[in-house]
Amino acid sequence: MNFKNANLTKSIKFQAFVGFAIILFFFKLIFGSVDAVFFRILNEIFVILTAAFFILYMFDFIRTKKINPLSLIMNIGILNAIIFALISFSNPILNWIFGNVKERLTKPDLIISIISFLYGFLFISLVSYIFFTFKELYFLKQKKNVSTHFNTMIIFFLVASFASVLNPYPELNYIKTTFVIISVILIIINSIRISWIAFLVKKEKVTLLVLSVVIFILFIVNLANSSDSQLHGQVLLNFSTSLNQFMNLMMIYGIIYFGILFFTTLFHIPTAEAYDRKTQEISSLQYFSKLITQVLDFKELSETVTEIAVKVCNSDASWIIWTENNETNPLANKNIGIIDTNLISDYILSKIMKDTDTKTILLNLEKFEGKGKLAEKFYSFAVSPLKTHNEVKGYLVAAKKNDFIFDDEDKNAMDTFSDYASIAMENSRLLEESIEKERLEKEFDVAREIQRKILPSKNPELESLSISSVFIPAFEVGGDYYDFFELSENKFGFVIADVSGKGISAAFIMAELKGIFESLSKTFETPKEILVKANEILHRTLDRKNFVSAAYGVIDIDKETLSISRAGHCPVLLIRNHIVQNIRPSGIGLGLNFTDHFVNTLDEIQINLEEDDLIVLYTDGITEAKNIRLDDFGSIEFEKILLENSDKHVDEISKKVIKEVTLFSQNISQHDDITLVILKWKQKLNLDGENKWQNSAPQLQTKVK
Amino acid sequence: MAEFSTSVADKGEVSTIYLKGFLDAHTAPMLENTFSGLVDNKKYSIVVNFKDLAYISSAGLGVFMAFIEKVRENEGDIKLSAMSDKVYNIFDLLGFPLLYEIFKTEEEAINKFRENKNLES
Repeated sequence: MNFKNANLTKSIKFQAFVGFAIILFFFKLIFGSVDAVFFRILNEIFVILTAAFFILYMFDFIRTKKINPLSLIMNIGILNAIIFALISFSNPILNWIFGNVKERLTKPDLIISIISFLYGFLFISLVSYIFFTFKELYFLKQKKNVSTHFNTMIIFFLVASFASVLNPYPELNYIKTTFVIISVILIIINSIRISWIAFLVKKEKVTLLVLSVVIFILFIVNLANSSDSQLHGQVLLNFSTSLNQFMNLMMIYGIIYFGILFFTTLFHIPTAEAYDRKTQEISSLQYFSKLITQVLDFKELSETVTEIAVKVCNSDASWIIWTENNETNPLANKNIGIIDTNLISDYILSKIMKDTDTKTILLNLEKFEGKGKLAEKFYSFAVSPLKTHNEVKGYLVAAKKNDFIFDDEDKNAMDTFSDYASIAMENSRLLEESIEKERLEKEFDVAREIQRKILPSKNPELESLSISSVFIPAFEVGGDYYDFFELSENKFGFVIADVSGKGISAAFIMAELKGIFESLSKTFETPKEILVKANEILHRTLDRKNFVSAAYGVIDIDKETLSISRAGHCPVLLIRNHIVQNIRPSGIGLGLNFTDHFVNTLDEIQINLEEDDLIVLYTDGITEAKNIRLDDFGSIEFEKILLENSDKHVDEISKKVIKEVTLFSQNISQHDDITLVILKWKQKLNLDGENKWQNSAPQLQTKVK
Repeated sequence: MAEFSTSVADKGEVSTIYLKGFLDAHTAPMLENTFSGLVDNKKYSIVVNFKDLAYISSAGLGVFMAFIEKVRENEGDIKLSAMSDKVYNIFDLLGFPLLYEIFKTEEEAINKFRENKNLES
């Protein structure tokens, strides 16, 4: 609706303007030569209404555009130039075409009337446009509501113009003169406040200074040229005395306005640079405080930092000297080559007292010997430390070429700016770290998930064997593996292994181990055979740095024997009659050697089992568990706990061990997986009730080749 | 975490690597670099002195495996010396004594190299 209304009024204004123009035209044609007061007043009213609607129409027409003071000034200049040209050339041209126009004006014929109308109408447009432009300039960047001042002035303009109707009565001239004087006073008052100059940059101010002189002169010339005695004055007076008067007022306005403008601009010039810098600084800082929360990428951020640093202190180039992992390198070079930054950075670092300089310092290359090697003539530098938690992480460097030096203003700007930069860069680094940490955590989550799926979900239940197993993964996943295999009705196999390394790679090797032992346990019978084959298979996949320690055992339930081979793993513990025995047959870890040497050095031990024998399998996560002083939990302590609790149920024994280890390692993060498997042999009662154990004795050193 | 450092001393034909601190997955690359440096300079007679080594993890053990093949191909050897009981126990469990010569002191290891040299010549 609003839009429609606006359009409507706009078209009404235009129609009114055209309507009054046509009325004026015919009025001129018919009553042009009649010199009665009534007709003259009517004439002036028509002129004023035409001009008024033209101005109103123009308001709507131009309002939509974005206003730049310099382009308004240019507009006035161009309009003035046109007026100047019209006034200068109207006399010779009109006289050349129409003969003595001055004389013909007193007795106008049709052609002269039309020419006179067109000329007058042209000036209505020009003067209205100038007036409109002045109005726009006047209201530009005004802080107070000053429309009353301006409106008062317009009223006096109109009255003074209209009073020119009384021109034929010299005794009443004082009325017009009074109003003109008041108008001029109002012009002066209204022209003093030109606030938009401050918002221009230095370059624009210089342009404005030149323009204002030129336009000021043009206004004076135009005012002088439009005196009543000239042809232009005659034609215009004949057309409308108020238009003539209004134009003169506009010219006076122009002279005063541009006179004041010239001086105001002149006084602004010396401070222009400082003002420019202040606005630059403010906008840079605003921009930067936004960046602190927005830029997440460290590299992108450092590029932006140097980009702004160049602006903040009007320097030619900027870069950052950044120290990371004990390496110091220039980064984010702006307007400077890598060779130059390398040379200058070294020089700067040699000049800086690392910890004592907390503020920006200014340096120059006066004493720098490598000056000749520089590709460009950089000379002076402002160096600001970038610090977080009072630790200097790097330096922000701004550089100027040739003879330009940094002043105190630049230094302060760099101080403030480098503080912001420090915070932003620290934020970005912390964020990157936490993203990396999260990524690692995810990786470990995956590894732990793999591990969880590989390990047996529950312990097998056997009549003659009670089994307990505990597995506690370390955060980084250590690669522990254990498993049970019910080989046949009377044979039970178990394995424990520890993959070297950590994380997802260890988890994958673990998965491979599970496959290997699952299949080998079905094909081969003795632990030695199985470990030898496992080593062969691992040869194909393990790289040279990785290896696996493992122990494999088989319990023959009928024969009540345990056969064990050990490939580099922790000893298997046998607890019998309150004595701990380390079962530690010779053997190299899987993946360390793939020759016959591995086979030849791998022993297998067979033990006859007795009632309540405890077989304990573990990984070094238990014995190497650390306390806060980095002492090991140790195998002695481990064996002591096992002995003290050996009469209890396997679950209770393992609970006790884990409890002690946890207590020992409290307040320190677990660095390796912990695996503990405890088997307790229960006497297999024969149907005839005979106890076999009476005949058996430990035979630890039995070797099976 | 705990610190780790290595240093190398040339004693005639034999180079000795001194280990100090904690050798684990995080510090193992440092030892790898040290070995790489020696192998790149064609120094294949290497003695490792464990006197100041406080702890070694499985990843640390892997470093020795990574280079032994290359060194032995070039008629050199890596000999280990001066281990504390704790460190020796870790090596021993894994069967390293079956793969490497381990000596009580650095001098014994170096002498072993020299004896071999004399035998050859």
